[in-house]
Amino acid sequence: MSVEHPDQRTVEQLLGREPESSQPAPHDPGDGSLIDDPALEAPLVLGGRSLHEVTEIVCGYAERPAPKWWLPALLVSASVAGLGTMMILYLIITGVGVWGLNNQVNWAWDITNFVFWIGIGHAGTLISAILCLFKQKWRTAVNRSAEAMTIFAVTCAGIYPAIHVGRIWFIWMVFPIPNANAIWPNFRSPLLWDVFAVSTYATVSTLFWYMGMLPDFATLRDRADRRLRRAMASGGARSLPDTLRAYIYGVFALGWRFSNRHWHRYEVAYLILAGISTPLVLSVHSIVSFDFATSVVPGWHTTIFPPYFVAGAIFGGFAMVLLLLIPARELLPNFKDLLTLRHIENMAKILLVTGMMVGFAYAMEFFVAWYGANEFEFYVFMFNRAVPDWLHESGAPYWWAYWTMIFCNVVSPQVFWFRRCRQDVRIVWGVALLVTIGMWFERFVIIVTSLHRGWLPAQWHMFYPTIVDILTFVGTFGIFMTLFLLFLKFLPIFPMAEIKAVMPQADPHPDPEEAPAMAGARGDDPEAAGGAAPAPAPAHPEEGR
Amino acid sequence: MLFPKWVNTVPTVLAMGGGGGALMTVAMVWYFFTPKFWVMGYMPEQPGAGFNHQIHAGKLGMDCRYCHTHIEESPEANIPHVSVCYGCHAEGRLNPRSYNADRVEFVRTAYENDEPIQWRRVHKLPDYVRNFPHHVHLQAGVSCYSCHGQIVGMPVVYQAESLSMGWCLECHRAPEDHLVPPDKVTELTWVESELSERRSMNRRERRVHTSDLIAALREAPPENCGACHH
Repeated sequence: MSVEHPDQRTVEQLLGREPESSQPAPHDPGDGSLIDDPALEAPLVLGGRSLHEVTEIVCGYAERPAPKWWLPALLVSASVAGLGTMMILYLIITGVGVWGLNNQVNWAWDITNFVFWIGIGHAGTLISAILCLFKQKWRTAVNRSAEAMTIFAVTCAGIYPAIHVGRIWFIWMVFPIPNANAIWPNFRSPLLWDVFAVSTYATVSTLFWYMGMLPDFATLRDRADRRLRRAMASGGARSLPDTLRAYIYGVFALGWRFSNRHWHRYEVAYLILAGISTPLVLSVHSIVSFDFATSVVPGWHTTIFPPYFVAGAIFGGFAMVLLLLIPARELLPNFKDLLTLRHIENMAKILLVTGMMVGFAYAMEFFVAWYGANEFEFYVFMFNRAVPDWLHESGAPYWWAYWTMIFCNVVSPQVFWFRRCRQDVRIVWGVALLVTIGMWFERFVIIVTSLHRGWLPAQWHMFYPTIVDILTFVGTFGIFMTLFLLFLKFLPIFPMAEIKAVMPQADPHPDPEEAPAMAGARGDDPEAAGGAAPAPAPAHPEEGR
Repeated sequence: MLFPKWVNTVPTVLAMGGGGGALMTVAMVWYFFTPKFWVMGYMPEQPGAGFNHQIHAGKLGMDCRYCHTHIEESPEANIPHVSVCYGCHAEGRLNPRSYNADRVEFVRTAYENDEPIQWRRVHKLPDYVRNFPHHVHLQAGVSCYSCHGQIVGMPVVYQAESLSMGWCLECHRAPEDHLVPPDKVTELTWVESELSERRSMNRRERRVHTSDLIAALREAPPENCGACHH
């Protein structure tokens, strides 16, 4: 036979007649995680880290002194958060008149910010729930911080609907509480569905986040406890931080002892919560979109809103994940070993996909407005949004907001068609920033440009934000960043057990040639046996990729 | 061991305490945070010897409208001018017999000085429902009894019902529980026996029983916010 059968070589290899993988590894420009060969699994943890080293890295963020930039950053964020809180107090004391709302534009930055923040949370739920069910192993590096971000974003989002009612002391009326007035919320109103959607979302996300942290809290507790014991054994004093750690993490660990029974129930509970959260990824923002879609305001009354909002939420959420994690990756030691370029690239791809989804939705809105032959709807899309006022006498003064949105959300992610752009963290960060800006403008465009022109020209009013509007919005960023910085310092920012389970050491039957990432592995972690099975001794410890 | 063994009981205690506390809070709010608790039974002391509804409207059988003259055409249930009292209680007329003849002295004093008697209001509605139209309710056939209780049995008037919004809505949603023929709204003893008889019927029977009255209504009892809160 002159031509070798394609499988011949495999057969030879299996019979041991020919050495395996004589193919050289493909050229890889990045950190080693950007392998293009489908036959090779890209390492999810770099640097040939052992299980123990992963524990050291992750616990180190919570145990070692914070980096120099942390305290100043926290002070700045907390000051901004305090400023925002003062604005909120001012609003409550004085009334909603301190915002720039008017009779025509009765929803503006308040609801814009609400939808913006609630959308941001969606990436965390998607990563923790849907990617879990689809067994996407790369989620382990980002899920903890993305879930944290979800909760902090929902916290920020929840502020706005509460304060925009004006009489905040009546906010309990949004819940169906039996009362002597026999008043119930309107069960046919999407605003009430919103209350349920968002509160369910906040509850489930918090449970998911907290439950995932249990084993890691236990690890932190055990490490602090062991240090205390050592200090006592050598006759030294108990250090106060370690005592606090042991007890505080200990309380939050809820008595986790790494027993098999614990792990079994943990896995089951995790799957159940993933199952509950999965519909939430789709339902929450669908219901938020009903706030608009079920009204009869031209520009809001469209059936495309639910999927379009969900895609936009995931889009904006991943942008925020990248916006936060890329700097964290640079600033925190060894972060890059756990969050590789491949993770960034994957998220950039999601940005590209969801960015095109929202782009499609923007286009369909115009198509339906034209095809539906509703002149008012068409007018809103054409003249309230797209056509600049310097181009047409009916043109919109808000054209710049619309085109900012188009540029940021549709045009800018297109750079991710190019591998070089997906793999360059600076470009990814820049696009993520643009997308975050664009997604804020999307909500602003939907809300304000639809409202600002009523049916009669006498009802046409512009919206101008007041300083209170602006500082409240900036203030919620302060709240968000404060919470995130505290998270970076005090909580396990990676799910150690889950990361260990996707490391090569966790494979009970490793191919000795294919397990180079185990180089330097020194066996299992003594005080925190993660989810990983005991690893066999690496075949070639000195080999690394 | 980092935590002593008794810590194991903490979750149980917390769950039970938290659950019990939550239950207690709900129960307390349910019971105490209502007009039913706060204002039902309110019985202010009236000036002078007061006005004994039990004697006047009960024993003597005076019609409510003898004093509250405008209730059929006015939203306000008017409190009579002192001259109405004086019409009977002038010097030498209809004195309460023997033992305490000066009980009504305050009426005469007020009349002579041309001063109103400072009666104290018993039934108060919040400002945002101050326009409660008595005439509309009377014309529809809602008896005084339904809101004010058995006045003819009260020596001193007190608030018999909670007057909460939920209480208003109960009747607006089920007018068959309270409607009586409009010409009988002030016959409180008759109304009491009629309504207590009605309680032994089921809802459908009550509907049938009051079908003429309900059909005679100019509109169904409104349940929209604007009906009461302008």
